[in-house]
Amino acid sequence: MNLLPSKYRFVPVVLMLLAAVSVFTPVVDDPGLQQTFAVAFLFAALALTYDLLLGFTGLLSFGHSLFYAAGAYGAAYAMARWEWQIIPATIFALFFATAIALFTGATALRVKGIAFAMVTLAFAEAGHVIATLNLWGLSNGDITLQLRPESVPEFFLGVNNTRNLFLLSLITLAIIYLAVWWLTQSSVGRVWQALRENEERVSVLGLRPFSFKLIAFVLAGVMAAFVGVVAVIVTNNANPSMGSTGTTISLLLMVILGGIATRWGAVIGGVLYVVLSQRLTTLNTEGALSSFPEWIGGPMSEPAFILGVIFILVVMFSPGGIAGALYRLKMKFGSSVK
Amino acid sequence: MTSNAALSVSDLSLAIGGAKIVEGVSLEVIAGETLGVIGPNGAGKTSLFNLISGLRPVTRGKIYLGDDDITNESPASRASKGLGRTFQTSSVFTLLPVLENVRLAAEAAMGGSMRITRRAYSFKPAIAKAEEALAAVGLADKRFTPAGALSHGDKRRLEIAIVLASDAKVVMLDEPMAGMSVENVPVLTEIIRSLSRDYGRTVLMVEHHMHVVLGLADRVAVMHQGELLICADPQTVVKDPTVQSAYLGKSL
Amino acid sequence: MEIFITLFITGVGLGALYFLVAAGLSLIYGLMDVLNFAHGAFLTAGAYATWYFTTYVRADGSLTSYAISLLIAGLVGALFAVATEQILIKYLYNRHIDQALVTVGLGFVAASAYLGWFGTDPLVVLPPVDLYNVVQIGDAFVGLDRFLYIGVAAIVLLANFLMLRYTRIGLIIRAGVENRNMVTALGIDVRKAFTFVFFIGGFAAGLGGALATTYASGVGPTLGDSFLIYAFITVVIGGMGSVPGTAIAAVLVGTTQVLVNYYVQGLGDFVVVLLLALVLLVRPQGLLGKVVR
Repeated sequence: MNLLPSKYRFVPVVLMLLAAVSVFTPVVDDPGLQQTFAVAFLFAALALTYDLLLGFTGLLSFGHSLFYAAGAYGAAYAMARWEWQIIPATIFALFFATAIALFTGATALRVKGIAFAMVTLAFAEAGHVIATLNLWGLSNGDITLQLRPESVPEFFLGVNNTRNLFLLSLITLAIIYLAVWWLTQSSVGRVWQALRENEERVSVLGLRPFSFKLIAFVLAGVMAAFVGVVAVIVTNNANPSMGSTGTTISLLLMVILGGIATRWGAVIGGVLYVVLSQRLTTLNTEGALSSFPEWIGGPMSEPAFILGVIFILVVMFSPGGIAGALYRLKMKFGSSVK
Repeated sequence: MTSNAALSVSDLSLAIGGAKIVEGVSLEVIAGETLGVIGPNGAGKTSLFNLISGLRPVTRGKIYLGDDDITNESPASRASKGLGRTFQTSSVFTLLPVLENVRLAAEAAMGGSMRITRRAYSFKPAIAKAEEALAAVGLADKRFTPAGALSHGDKRRLEIAIVLASDAKVVMLDEPMAGMSVENVPVLTEIIRSLSRDYGRTVLMVEHHMHVVLGLADRVAVMHQGELLICADPQTVVKDPTVQSAYLGKSL
Repeated sequence: MEIFITLFITGVGLGALYFLVAAGLSLIYGLMDVLNFAHGAFLTAGAYATWYFTTYVRADGSLTSYAISLLIAGLVGALFAVATEQILIKYLYNRHIDQALVTVGLGFVAASAYLGWFGTDPLVVLPPVDLYNVVQIGDAFVGLDRFLYIGVAAIVLLANFLMLRYTRIGLIIRAGVENRNMVTALGIDVRKAFTFVFFIGGFAAGLGGALATTYASGVGPTLGDSFLIYAFITVVIGGMGSVPGTAIAAVLVGTTQVLVNYYVQGLGDFVVVLLLALVLLVRPQGLLGKVVR
């Protein structure tokens, strides 16, 4: 039975798009560009997992980076210290992240709204502190925990294989996209969307809001951890900044910029954010900003400055982000044709 | 507790910072009846509903669903034991389609059927039940409309479809007619009447429209300043002098 | 024991800095339901103002210059805060999540602007030489600056108390924290109180920024953000909207952090978060917070 035809129509489109990108990948022959896009796809995937919380369940978490870092450190640690291969290390990382998500989620979900945001922020900060101060010898005394090359297949190593990393990221994005799509279409996913609107209403239907929110929190965390594992392979290390609040805030920026609760909005936001960050930095080194006076040129040379300004404008004037703007355009266009 | 009471409260009280919102209310709703609760604004009617459905913790008193003491249970657990309610200000899930609003209620009532592995629209029994409830309130042709796009009257119908699909034995309706246009009142009245007549539900309703309550309810309870003045058949209530001075005398 | 006293007073001093940031956060949240992520940026602005003043305007290293710089830092923080309220927050009235998001964006923009203007490396701010003195308590020696933090925070706490207790605007704020709708229904313009709360919150944060340059011996672009996180924890533990609760929580957080960090290297920051989790499990509304409806 096809009850919501328009809801499904874009899925094959997205799959075809992904297929097209993979086919044309060899054309993108520049390893630097491939690396940029590999990172961009990973952040798009991460933004999707964040959208599951923020967009689909209405949970404003400031601690999502914790799970990304937990996945990355879990896998990198298991490989470096215990000399595990990538597959068991991944499984370990996912269980590790699940445990953390269960504990932090069950605690943080005792409060709501803004207080929840603060508590998740605090938990992530605790994780960040552990990584930064290298408590318990997490990273062999180095700032970053390097990927142990012997633990991953050879075709993921070296500059010559950047194309494989690009594909790995793309596949990761596709997996996360399908997972999020599936979850939001499931019975439980519908309860999340109901919770986003009215929690009391859900509770008088006989559904415990806490349990459903915890499920969303843990699943989003585990998926973020999976992205973290892939990030270790793509970027060759796990580092403290993965777990910083800055990471979560950039996820927030991506999702809001792209458009909340639309799935592909998060993807566009993620890719755009990463590509723009890199591109704006290049712009600066090429001297494009030298004509500006120092007081404005200084901040302008920071990509975060421009992205932050765009973000504020989007929140104030275009609540639906890029997806929302396109939707309004489509509505306008569609009605004028008819 | 008498065995034929579907829902009963005894000495139910709610105080917020010294202000007595609900004070010492004892009430029995007999299985299968429709009990109307009336009273002026601020009489504590909606607060009474919030206490019974568990959205507010009680200050004092007990709540029983049948013989089951539910005073300290969560709203969700009360609902899964067969207590359903609607809200005064329409609170349907505006971004979800009409059918989805009702389907969620139906699936929730089917106990433990929520699955993360199953697509929401592939669970036929819940859909069948939801379609049935929508047909009963006359919303079948609007099932794919986002609930937020419904007219006010249709939202009120949807609220009733939701409690209908949720299998609640005891249905609490919080001002179902609020904001309805005059010509829509008789239709909705008929739908509410069918809740007890055709579906065997026990109905507890708060309503402002006096003639609706007097026409629908088997018994009427009058609240004033948080207290229960009287609970009797409509004729007795209308003639009661304290009620007349407290409520009818002013608003009629 | 001597070490303990030194550490304890240092912890209270750090708590005093947290209080200066958290008091404003707590009042803003209590009155307006706005979680202000830009509060750290107010602090950093105050800190840079101190740096500028004590480096370029009056670099004589005297206590007077330092005192003036504190005042200027407070005003810079307050102006930044009022501008934020007037330019951004005001137009998102009743859109609480959007208000929080805008302050996130502003914090982000401010941090990168500081980075663009002043560079990544912390700028050194030298406090007056007199502040390097130590005070002897029993056998313990404690830096004089610790007492300065505590003193300033105590003054702010007292001023807050008097303002909330005895002024008309304070009455409106207290009533507004309790029940905003009621105050609006009485025909009182709460918006003036909103701006005022941002002013005093920004002022306290700016003061905190000036003092933080002494505590951290300088100022970098993310100085405020590092304080902000612990200020958040302080606010949640103390109870949203309660200034006395914030004060108690600030001392608790500061001392715990410093003491544990001394005895178990680096674990203090972590233990503070555990403390937060514990408080939430036992008392979700915080130490002196109103019950969340």
